[in-house]
Amino acid sequence: MKKTLLGVSLLVWSVSCSLIEREIDPTTLFQKPADFPDPVYPFEKNPMSAEVVELGRQLFYEPKLSRDNTISCGECHNQSHAFTHHGHVFSHGIDAREGDRNAQPLINLAWQPHFFWDGGVFDLDMFSLAPIENPVEMDESISRVLAKLQQDPAYKRQFKKAYGTEEVTTERFLKALSQFMLTLVSANSKYDQFKAGKAVLSADEMAGLNLFQEKGCATCHPAPLFTDHSFRSNGLLPIFTGDLGRYRITENPEDKNKFKVPTLRNVAVSGPYMHDGRYLTLDMAVEHYNSLIEDTGTLDPVLRQRRTPLTSTEKKQIVAFLTTLTDPTYLSDPRFSEFYRPK
Amino acid sequence: MKNSCVILLVFLSSLGFMSCSPADEINPNDTNSVILEFENVVGGQRLALGTATYTNPAGEPFTITRLNYFVSNIKMTKSDGQEVTFPGQYFLVRQSDPTSWKITLPEVPAGDYIKLDYLIGVDSLRSVADISQRTGVLDPASYGDDNMYWSWNSGYIFFKMEGTSSRATTPAQNFQFHIGGFGGFSARTAVNSRTISLPITQAAQVRKNVIPTVHILGDVLKVFSAGHTINARSMVHSPAVAAPVADGVKTMFQVDHVHNDKMP
Repeated sequence: MKKTLLGVSLLVWSVSCSLIEREIDPTTLFQKPADFPDPVYPFEKNPMSAEVVELGRQLFYEPKLSRDNTISCGECHNQSHAFTHHGHVFSHGIDAREGDRNAQPLINLAWQPHFFWDGGVFDLDMFSLAPIENPVEMDESISRVLAKLQQDPAYKRQFKKAYGTEEVTTERFLKALSQFMLTLVSANSKYDQFKAGKAVLSADEMAGLNLFQEKGCATCHPAPLFTDHSFRSNGLLPIFTGDLGRYRITENPEDKNKFKVPTLRNVAVSGPYMHDGRYLTLDMAVEHYNSLIEDTGTLDPVLRQRRTPLTSTEKKQIVAFLTTLTDPTYLSDPRFSEFYRPK
Repeated sequence: MKNSCVILLVFLSSLGFMSCSPADEINPNDTNSVILEFENVVGGQRLALGTATYTNPAGEPFTITRLNYFVSNIKMTKSDGQEVTFPGQYFLVRQSDPTSWKITLPEVPAGDYIKLDYLIGVDSLRSVADISQRTGVLDPASYGDDNMYWSWNSGYIFFKMEGTSSRATTPAQNFQFHIGGFGGFSARTAVNSRTISLPITQAAQVRKNVIPTVHILGDVLKVFSAGHTINARSMVHSPAVAAPVADGVKTMFQVDHVHNDKMP
C-alpha cells in the first residue's frame, strides 16, 4: 500500500514538475499575489528562510508528532486534495479514532485571522498545538514531541541548519511549521489566469461566475480569497454531531450553529463539504443553497432572503465556475510534498 | 521575687529582641528579594493530594488530586503608598511540586510593604502574545501531562482543581474545575482571571539584610464560597460557566504571617 502511494505520488510529482517548472521560482518562499490584500500574519516576528521552511515541511510530514509515531499532519491534509482528507467525512486520527469535524484545506493561511471551523485559535503559530494534543487526532503532548525531536540526530542537524543551534524549543518548532504552512499559497487557478488576461473561461464557466456574483455567493465568498473569514450559520442543523461551531468558543447563544466561511479555492478537489462533511459532492453543496437551507435560529440574514430557485443549468454553471478555482500549481508544487528534497 | 522579676524582664526583652526588634533603617538604594510562599490548605488542615477526604460547605465529601494556579501581575505597596510592580513575571504554583510553592521576587526596593496584589491567571495581553513571549511557565510544552493551556480555544488554564467526590455527576465520580478565559481575541468572552488584594498586617520589611517571606494560605474550601458545588457542575471546562468557581478562588487567599528574618 505504502509502495503504491509512493509510486503514485512520485508520478504526480514528475508530471507536475514539468508542468510548473516555468512558473515557480524555487527561491521564492512567499510572495503576495498581485491582487491579494496584505497578509495578516506578522512575518516580522517569524522571518522566513529556506532552511526553516524545509524544517517545517519535515515536521509537517513527521509521524513522531503523534503519540504512537504513526500520524503526521500530512495524514489528514493531503496536498493533492488541497490539504484535506479526501473522501473522509471526518478524519481518523490515532488508533483509528474519528474526529468530529471535516478537515479544512490549508490554503492562503497568511491571510487567515483565525483557524478551525470555530475560530478557536487566532494565531497560526499556536495552531499546531491543537491537532497534536487532540485525543482523536495525534493525542500527544507537545513536551514529548519536542523530546522526541531532540533525540533525533536528523532533526538536530535540521534545527541547527534552520536556527544556528540544535536546540529544539516550542517557539522554533511552532514557527517552523507556520513557515511551511505559509508557503501553501494558491493563486494560480484558471480563474486567476482569466483575471490576469492569460486564460479564457468557457461559456458555462463565465455564466457561473456571473451567477456566483448575482446570486449572492460572493457576499460571503468574495474574491480573491473567496472567504470573508466571518462566522455564519448557513442553514445546517446540528443533526450529525451536535456541533454548535463558534458557540463553543464564544459561548454566546447568537453564535450557535455558526462556522467559519471556508475559502472556495480548490473547492472541487476538497470534498466532502461543510463542517460535518454531510455533502459528498460539489453539486450537493451548491444544491444546499438552492433548496436545503434550514432555519437554525441564527441563520445568516443573507440566506433568509427569498430567491428564485436555480435551474439545473445554472447549478451546473456555478459548479463549472467553482472548478476554475482549482489551482494545479498549488496542488502539485513539489516543494509542498512529503517527498521533496531541496537541492 | 526581685530576682525572678529581673529574670522575667531579661526574658521578655530577649523575646522582644528576637521577634520585633525595630528594623534597620531603610536605605532607599538597597534592594533585596521577597519570597511569597503559597501554602494550600483545606480549612484548618494542610492539603494532602489524593488521599484525604474533605467536606466542602455544601456538605460534599471530596478529595483533591490536582491543584495548580498561575500567579502574575504582582504588585506590592509600601506603607507610604508607593507601589512596586513585577511586570513580565509569571509563576505557576503546583501542589504536586513543593519547589513551586515559593515565588522569589528579585530586586525589591527596601521598604515596609503593607499590601500585596496579584492576579490568579494570565493577563489578556500575554494571553495573545507571540510564542516568543511564552517561555518558562508560559511555555505550552512545559506542562507534560498536566496541561495548563487550551490548544483548542487558545488560552491558559488559570486555575485547575481536580479530584473525586461521591457527589460528582460523572461516571468516574470525579470533578475537574479548569478555570480559564482572558476575555477573547476577536469576540468578547468571559474573563475568569481574578485580582487578589491582601493586606499585610505585619509589614514585610525589605532591607539590605532582610529577605521577607510572606506566608500566604490558600484555602480550597473557599473555592466553593461563591456557591459552586461539585454536584451542580462537576466538569468546568469552558469560560462561560467558570465564574462561580473563579469568584470563589478570589476569596481563598490570606496572608497568614511574615518572616522578616535577618540574613546571617
